[in-house]
Amino acid sequence: MSKLLKPGISAMQQGTQLCRVCTMDSSISANTTHCPYCGSPISVRIKHSQQKTWALLLTAMVFIIPANLYPITYLLKNSTLYPDTIFSGIISLFESGMIGIALIVFIASILVPILKIIALSFISLAVHFQWQLSPKKQLFAFKIVDWVGRWSVLDLFVISIMVAVFDKGNFLSVYPGIAATSFTVVVITTLFAAQSFDTRLIWDANTNAK
Amino acid sequence: MQTIICSHCDLVSQKPILAPGYVAKCARCERILYKNKAVNANKLFALSITALLICIPAFSSPLISIHLLGVTEEANLLQGAIMMIDIAPLVSFVVLFCAVVAPTLLTVCIAFSSGCVVFNKRPSLLNSVLKLTAILFHWSMLEVYLVSFMVAVFKLISYADVYFNSGLYFFVALLILNMTMLCEYSNTKYWEYSRNE
Repeated sequence: MSKLLKPGISAMQQGTQLCRVCTMDSSISANTTHCPYCGSPISVRIKHSQQKTWALLLTAMVFIIPANLYPITYLLKNSTLYPDTIFSGIISLFESGMIGIALIVFIASILVPILKIIALSFISLAVHFQWQLSPKKQLFAFKIVDWVGRWSVLDLFVISIMVAVFDKGNFLSVYPGIAATSFTVVVITTLFAAQSFDTRLIWDANTNAK
Repeated sequence: MQTIICSHCDLVSQKPILAPGYVAKCARCERILYKNKAVNANKLFALSITALLICIPAFSSPLISIHLLGVTEEANLLQGAIMMIDIAPLVSFVVLFCAVVAPTLLTVCIAFSSGCVVFNKRPSLLNSVLKLTAILFHWSMLEVYLVSFMVAVFKLISYADVYFNSGLYFFVALLILNMTMLCEYSNTKYWEYSRNE
């Protein structure tokens, strides 16, 4: 630690940056590229955080359309192919009386990806246009998005189990459809989008927040 | 006066003096600023070695079998991911990475870094391992897999008779070990060790 920091104001205003890898602080002017403690690349804020987040979000917005419209799995039964989209799968679960399971799949595969895209876009817009909203609420929303995001992988795991069980194709077999790949792209890009978003920007944008 | 910077909002605070097991929160964003975890490297080392051993049967023995018109079919975790590789390589890769590669690699990383603490060594590889551990935290999704497994079982019930196999018990054991490990582990404390503080 090169100099004493004053509590109560942000580190950036005091010429200090935090290493996100080893959580040590160092001077911004003296260490422009690498953390002096652990040697990993360092920057005051995540480099091009907004651009990366937007690029990934736009990709997710594009791919969420085929993910929901095209069949995610094909069921081959008595040499007839039955396609199933995400939504029709949920409907058939609902109709067979498994409302709880249908709800889990609905939340994980439809609600979470859409909410994630909306929430992240909203926070990014708020940061970009410096809307003076409550930073604490924005961070709270971001943390929910971040935590809940991993659960959208659920549908992919379900497909992999179904494919493995009905593998020999005797009477029934299951194949992943085009939507499975599109849905994977949505899940991965939204996960990376949340990771590339720097929450400290929320406070940088709120000039009058203390 | 020691200070600490919040990683969520960049506010500088006085470094709190905490009793072990207590958590300090940032005054501005109310997120966790600093945790004074009592990390027991011996325990973590033992847990991670056990988890590594259990990984093998958990991933390779059958989780479920179904009986359909006199035919029995079994499925294990690896099969499902690998079988889609021709039709949907991306899906297959993500499933393999999140359910198999990331949890295994995370366990190897924790075993390595805990081993370093136990045997009081600081190899140059330790820094890279700690970096990798932080990344893998996001991608290890065993708990999601268990819930997916339950969803799949409910879907299967409408087609055939479903029986649970030995692999499931190994998998649940692995999940419990993994959860305990992640609760015990603290990246900050290991970085402090690596810097010899």
